[in-house]
Amino acid sequence: MAGSPDMFDAIVMADERFRGEGFAEGFAEGSGLGLRQGRRLGAARGARVAAEVGCYRGFAVAWRCLLRGGASEKDRKKVKALEALLAMIQRFPYDDAAYGELLRDLDGIRGKFRQLCSLLHVRPDLRIPAEAAGLSF
Amino acid sequence: MSWVQAASLGPDPGKEGDVFDEDADESLVVQREWRSHMQRRVKEGYRDGIDAGKAVTLQQGFNQGYKEGAEVIMNYGQLRGTLSALLSWCQLHDSSLMLISKISHLLDAVGQCEEYVLKRLESVTPQPHVGDLLDSIQDMDLRHVVPAEEKTDGNKDERLCENNAEPNTNCSKTLSGADCLSSECCRAHECAHSETPSLTWILEQTHSLVRQLGVSTDILQHLKQL
Repeated sequence: MAGSPDMFDAIVMADERFRGEGFAEGFAEGSGLGLRQGRRLGAARGARVAAEVGCYRGFAVAWRCLLRGGASEKDRKKVKALEALLAMIQRFPYDDAAYGELLRDLDGIRGKFRQLCSLLHVRPDLRIPAEAAGLSF
Repeated sequence: MSWVQAASLGPDPGKEGDVFDEDADESLVVQREWRSHMQRRVKEGYRDGIDAGKAVTLQQGFNQGYKEGAEVIMNYGQLRGTLSALLSWCQLHDSSLMLISKISHLLDAVGQCEEYVLKRLESVTPQPHVGDLLDSIQDMDLRHVVPAEEKTDGNKDERLCENNAEPNTNCSKTLSGADCLSSECCRAHECAHSETPSLTWILEQTHSLVRQLGVSTDILQHLKQL
C-alpha cells in the first residue's frame, strides 16, 4: 500500500500533510519567538541575582582593602568573616540559570553578609535596585 | 498547497454539458469545503508548531539571557558595593558631609546606569524577525524617537498613510538596521534622560574620591572589567 500513490491514499494523507506543513512553519516561528522571550526573561532574572551578589562582593573586596594593616583581634575577625563571604560568592555560580541550590546559597550569602556588617558596625546602604530587593523566586 | 490546486483541477464541469449543471455546482461547493478544511489543518498545525517550537527554545533562551544579564550587571553590582563600603567607612570615621553626599550621589548614578543597561539588554534581540517586530517595537517604547513637536494631527495622518502604503520599506529598514533602531532608541533615551551619567564619569569620580579619602586605589582594582 505504501508504494501505491493512488487517490485514496492521497486523500487520507492530506489532512496530516497540510497539518505537517503548518506545523513546520509554526515550529520555526515559535523557536525564534521562544528564544527571544526566554532571553528577555532570563536577562532580567540573571541581572537580579548578579545585582545583589555583585554588590556583596564589591562591598567585601573594598572592606578588605580598608582593613589592610589592621592587626587587632577585632580586625582579624572582620577579615575572617569577609574572606568567608568572598569564598561563598566565589563558589556561587551566579550566571547559571540551571543551578538548583541558588536559593539556599543565596540565603547563606545574605546571612554571612549580615554577620560581616554587624562585625564592622555598619548598616550599609546598598541601593540594590527595587526589583532585586524583593528577590524571592 | 499544491495538492489543493491539483484537486481543484480534477473533474471538468464543462465536459459534462448543461444537463449536469447541478452536479457541477455541487463539486464547486465540495472543492471550496475541501480547501477551507485543509486551510484549517494548516492553521491548526501552525498553532501547534508555534507552541512546540516555543517550548523547545524558551528554556535555552532563558539560560542564555540569564548568563548575559548576570555577567553585565555583576560589574555594576560590584561598583555599587564598593561605593557602599566607602560610604559606610566614611560614616564610621565621621568624614565630611560633603564626601558622604558625594558618594551617595555616585551610588544613585550607578543605579541609573544599571537600570539603563538592563533595559537595553532586555529590548535588544539577537536575530530580529518580522513576526516579532511588533513585540520588539512595543518593548523598545519608540515614543522617544518621535519628537514631541511632530505630534500634530496632520503629521500623524500622514505618517499613518505612509505606514500603510509602504509596510515593506519600514520592515526591511528595521530588519537590516535592528542595531541602528535600538541605538537610535537608546540615543533618544539618553536625550530624554540627559542627566543619566556615563559609567566613565562615575569611575573617574570614584577614583578621585578614593584619592581624596587617602585610601589606596587598590580598592578599585577589581572593577577593571568595567
